[in-house]
Amino acid sequence: MIKLDNVTKVYKNEHVALRDASANIEKGEFVFLVGPSGSGKSTFLRLLNREVKPEEGTIYVAGKDIGKLPGYKVPDLRRNVGAVFQDYKLLPTRSVHDNVAFALEAIGRPRSAIKEAVPQILELVGLTAKAKNMPDELSGGEQQRVSIARAFVNRPLILLADEPTGNLDPATSVGIMKLLDRINRTGTTVLMATHDRGIVDTMRRRVIELDHGRIVRDQARGVYE
Amino acid sequence: MAIRLDYVMKETGQNLTRNFTLTFAAILTVAVSLTMVAASYLIGTGINNSFLGLRSEQQLLVYMNPSAEEDQIDSVSRALEESPQVEEIDFYNRERTFDEFQTLFREQPDLLSSVTAEDLPTSFRVKPTSTDAEVVSALGDTFAEREGVLRVAYAAEYARQVQRSVNTLNRWVTVVGVVLIGASVLLIFNTIRTAVFARRREIEVQRLVGARNWFIRMPFIVEGLVHGLMGALLAAGGTLAFDALWQRNFVDQVAFELLNQIRWTSGDVVSAILIITVIGALTGAVGSGIAVSRFLRA
Repeated sequence: MIKLDNVTKVYKNEHVALRDASANIEKGEFVFLVGPSGSGKSTFLRLLNREVKPEEGTIYVAGKDIGKLPGYKVPDLRRNVGAVFQDYKLLPTRSVHDNVAFALEAIGRPRSAIKEAVPQILELVGLTAKAKNMPDELSGGEQQRVSIARAFVNRPLILLADEPTGNLDPATSVGIMKLLDRINRTGTTVLMATHDRGIVDTMRRRVIELDHGRIVRDQARGVYE
Repeated sequence: MAIRLDYVMKETGQNLTRNFTLTFAAILTVAVSLTMVAASYLIGTGINNSFLGLRSEQQLLVYMNPSAEEDQIDSVSRALEESPQVEEIDFYNRERTFDEFQTLFREQPDLLSSVTAEDLPTSFRVKPTSTDAEVVSALGDTFAEREGVLRVAYAAEYARQVQRSVNTLNRWVTVVGVVLIGASVLLIFNTIRTAVFARRREIEVQRLVGARNWFIRMPFIVEGLVHGLMGALLAAGGTLAFDALWQRNFVDQVAFELLNQIRWTSGDVVSAILIITVIGALTGAVGSGIAVSRFLRA
């Protein structure tokens, strides 16, 4: 599903975010990216939906070399790669329902399809009762659920999660992890960058550890360290 | 996957109202500049309409007093025929003058009904042998002093004078209009930039979930077009007002000898409005197009 071949990413300030990284991730895998701040976890994720392009190496997503993707086809890639962030990126002036619907509107889905899909996904993330609430009326965990609903409503093949529990307390984090696990079990490949030792150690999934842009460990059913 | 019209309308509508002051300023600037362009177009057309015929002929007009005696007219007529500098004369009696008057002012029935043949002066249309302005002017002077002559007018020279002064004025109107169109483009550019900034969260999310570029850009382009077209709509009103004012203050007033010659038809007004609509749309498209391509790069 995802393949990195000797990928190097250097930012304009000459900071090397990822150095000669290679990895192969199969469809349906759940992978943790761990490592200290600045080790390249976010860059790893951002390369996969082509928010950034690598200086060297090749990246395949769903069999396609995304480095060769022309600009107008990048949206097609992103429709297959959902993304969730530590800061949720919800639209504060739209309700829970509308935040999720917005993602479908943006890709031109017909109103009837939106009407059907949004309640379904809100049910999945357990927010049916809060559909009409505004984001600032929700707890952090609930806001992250909305963000996951938005990323997953289009049923992407891959879900990228950049420290999704970074702002949440441990109990709430467990709920979010259960949700991501459930999404993973539908066959969606999940990549999650995290600092949360407890979560990684409990879930016992594949762990890719980064340090100064290098992959220093790639371990099936691994722990944080 | 067609773009949903209601989506574009909703987003554009939100942008327009969210940024009301900037939007208002942009539309107003477009309106003022387009009104000036339309006015300049109409004046230019008017100049061509009124002087195209006169430009080709070098004519001297000897107007007789409405109260001139028959023998005074005869004596002027004889003197003109005898003058070696005169090639041809043509006498306009009251009826002929009135006929011409009716043709010239056919669009102003009020004026026509208030004037009778008796109110109009008779005149000689004189074609001199020479086209030299000084010779013509000297010839005119010899008749200006004769009894019964109201005054002598020089058609070509007169026409040129009016044309020159109105042309100068018109050039300035055009220049100011064009400068204001430039200002409109900048204002629309800034308004769209502000709108893009106000919607940066939405745009970020749209990108993230895979919205196509044109889908993201569409509401902004439409917003720019709305600025241009709303401005053109206001300017159409301004053009009609200008037309009405010109008719009332100049064309219908015999007193304005210089300006009442400059006239245009309702067809010209329609062309002017069509032209400014196109310019308005282009102004909006260019302003928003630049903003969108600068701030919404793929």
